[in-house]
Amino acid sequence: MRRVVVTGLGAVSPHGIGVKAFWSGLAAGACAIRPLTVIESEGFRCRIAGEVPETVAGSARRTRADRFAIAATGEALEDAGLGVAERADAALVVGAVGGGMLEAEAWYWAATRGRRSVSLPAVRSVLPCAHADVLAARWGLRGPRHTVVTACSSGAVAVAEAAALIADGVVDVAVAGGVDAITRICFMGFNALKLLDPAPCRPFDRARRGMSIGEGAGFVVLEEAARARARGVRAYAELAGYGMTTDAYHITAPEPEGDGMVRAIRDALGQARETPPAVQYVNAHGTGTPQNDRVEARALERVFGEGAVLLSSTKSMIGHTMAAAGSLEAIATVLALTHGVVPPTANLETPDPEVRFDCVPRAPREALLDCAISNSFGFGGQNVTLLFRRR
Amino acid sequence: MEPKEVLDELKTILVSRLKFDPRRAAETTEATPLPKGVEGSIGLDSLDFIELSIAIEERFGLALDESEDLSAHFASFATLSRFIAEKMPAA
Amino acid sequence: MTGRARVVITGVGVVNAGIVGDSAALGAFLAAPRPAPGIAEGEIARVAASALSALIDPGDARRLSRVCQLSIAAAQLAVRESRLEPARGLGLVVGTEFGDLASTHVFADGFLERGPSGLSPLLFPNTVMNTMAATTAIAVGARELALTLNAPTVAGELAVARAVAAVATGQASAVLAGGVDEIGPVVEQQLPALGFADRFGEGAAFVVLESRAAAEARGATILGEVAAAAWRALPARPWGVGRQRRSRAITAVLEEAGVEAAHLGAVYVSASGDAARDAWEHAVLSAALGPQAPPAAALARLLGRHAGLGVLRVAAAAWTARSGLLPAAAEPVTAVTRVSSRAGLVHGLARGGAHVALVVRAA
Repeated sequence: MRRVVVTGLGAVSPHGIGVKAFWSGLAAGACAIRPLTVIESEGFRCRIAGEVPETVAGSARRTRADRFAIAATGEALEDAGLGVAERADAALVVGAVGGGMLEAEAWYWAATRGRRSVSLPAVRSVLPCAHADVLAARWGLRGPRHTVVTACSSGAVAVAEAAALIADGVVDVAVAGGVDAITRICFMGFNALKLLDPAPCRPFDRARRGMSIGEGAGFVVLEEAARARARGVRAYAELAGYGMTTDAYHITAPEPEGDGMVRAIRDALGQARETPPAVQYVNAHGTGTPQNDRVEARALERVFGEGAVLLSSTKSMIGHTMAAAGSLEAIATVLALTHGVVPPTANLETPDPEVRFDCVPRAPREALLDCAISNSFGFGGQNVTLLFRRR
Repeated sequence: MEPKEVLDELKTILVSRLKFDPRRAAETTEATPLPKGVEGSIGLDSLDFIELSIAIEERFGLALDESEDLSAHFASFATLSRFIAEKMPAA
Repeated sequence: MTGRARVVITGVGVVNAGIVGDSAALGAFLAAPRPAPGIAEGEIARVAASALSALIDPGDARRLSRVCQLSIAAAQLAVRESRLEPARGLGLVVGTEFGDLASTHVFADGFLERGPSGLSPLLFPNTVMNTMAATTAIAVGARELALTLNAPTVAGELAVARAVAAVATGQASAVLAGGVDEIGPVVEQQLPALGFADRFGEGAAFVVLESRAAAEARGATILGEVAAAAWRALPARPWGVGRQRRSRAITAVLEEAGVEAAHLGAVYVSASGDAARDAWEHAVLSAALGPQAPPAAALARLLGRHAGLGVLRVAAAAWTARSGLLPAAAEPVTAVTRVSSRAGLVHGLARGGAHVALVVRAA
């Protein structure tokens, strides 16, 4: 059986550029959700977000989201030490939602108001699939290439898809992850749905009122385990299992008993040939909406039993980074395993008694971790669980 | 505004915001229940109710307090038009 | 490869400007092909409103954007033909190039015209491309994976290829694979400025894919077998046409299917009027299939390019393998050529290099 290991990590997040900045922020329990600067927000109830705080260098021809993705994939490739020949055979799977919508919006806004601003090439990049072609060209990735759009779980789906390509023997190496830049449509839409907390989100808190949006890019290099060993590269962790299910219930609301979530978690455990007691830590989808957190906690209780795992939400610190969430949070999970530290749930003052788990409030927790899962539950009931195991 | 006028405006919202067929909207009466799952209702779900509340805020110049449980007011057109008529600023 | 299930087609659903129905409707069209309304005039080949309203319940239609209705209509036709019982184990893969851009425009316009209160919460979920898969999954009860794949030109073929992998490896016991695209007026206006030279259409097509063993066990009618499917990439600049002609995708599927290039009966190509891209595809196929390459059908000349057409090509290849007939492979475009009824190749190549190949056989 072909096993899949993680050999490279790359991140651009509201904590800054690079994996070091990302982990440093997470381990400190720092909340990076601040007043919006990248788009206008007057007239909206929520005016904050997790923005990438620095300018990511790159060509002006490339969209903001492209520049995030280029930086993150570049870091992951270098981290894994993949040379030209390996890159030429590597598969690429990208999870995306907004694509180049930020720039397309700027053009559309200006055009509607009778002004011309942004030039054409950026508008052509609006589709989510544009990232993959840009990344492949930039880094010489010439293996199988595809783009998945599964709303909030896109980044996690991308990682699972890449693992499947390796497990099936289609390729030995893959680059996978998700990317999203803040867009007006995303910001306005979540505001209109009344799903945003005007203050930084507080997942699993009794007083939680909604999510915070964020942006970034998280990419990993995955390799077939024996090949990685032969190559002498260190493996952060094994991606031992993944589950992908669909609620088929409602376009925005999760199925109330968390059936689809439960199946995704159990499928990941089953594929990894692990039982629930093997898992010590769950990196939650944990958006901070009253509904998600309640249903997710219910699903976790059904699978693991009350109090059986440590639970924390990365979104408490960086917001919901949309298509990047699943992969950035996968990276957070891998780093938690690597460092033996569970990043906390920031802003958690009064844990919700209905969430019957230790949600690691506000301060990081040292813990001996062998096995952890990362959940991503997207709009439209798209549920994904990734299971990582230390090597 | 009288509840009857409010009801007419709500029927307009059914068509313009909730995408109901105009004939279906015209057929509704004060007594028509709104939420899905109630017999004889027009079958609104949670997403419809969010759309409806924004439309009501816009059309009638109200601010609905999300922290309040307003579901009783959204039970039927009768309860909703009364609620809106009471909340509207005096002409 | 050992342990891989054989993958067969047990249902087809098509809703586009020229065809509405299941495999019988598709077959009737392919046997007597005509350019869809609009194509001859150089316009977008659009689906008639009456076709959709006949297929979607008005109560459901209220909450479904047009592109979601297209997807659900075709998916339900395919499921009905397959007589697959709704049960656990059904996956869904949907390929699209443009998603629901029409809803995105209306959503944005709401704000630009009336500020925050002009935003429609009902429309917002449609601004993410997975809306067609999400609504279709609810309509047909698909609870395993539900993937949306976005790609230029080859999204439909890619969706089928991905679905084949899912069935072959046992990820799902049956997968509904489809492609759907809608070209609304705003997108239509932008196409030339964005550099798209192709003939476009719109619509949806779905196939039900199952393992051969499962299909035979329940007595399903098998419409064809997808003997192999692969997606790879050829080097090219973003939106560019490349120069490399050696295709790993074609090599991989011929090898997996155990078919030599000389024994292919037909090729369904993705050519659609973009001269440079079409030429690249032709060069790649020539390099792979040699001087005895079989006749090639370019269905975009009849129905316009859209993700649904990519899936339709797979169903069409199965029909060709059964009937020995190939439309749109000669002049005039309405001519039907006789071919050997053996395996056929379905091929797609996009600007930027995304590349898909499938081998389809009669049952």
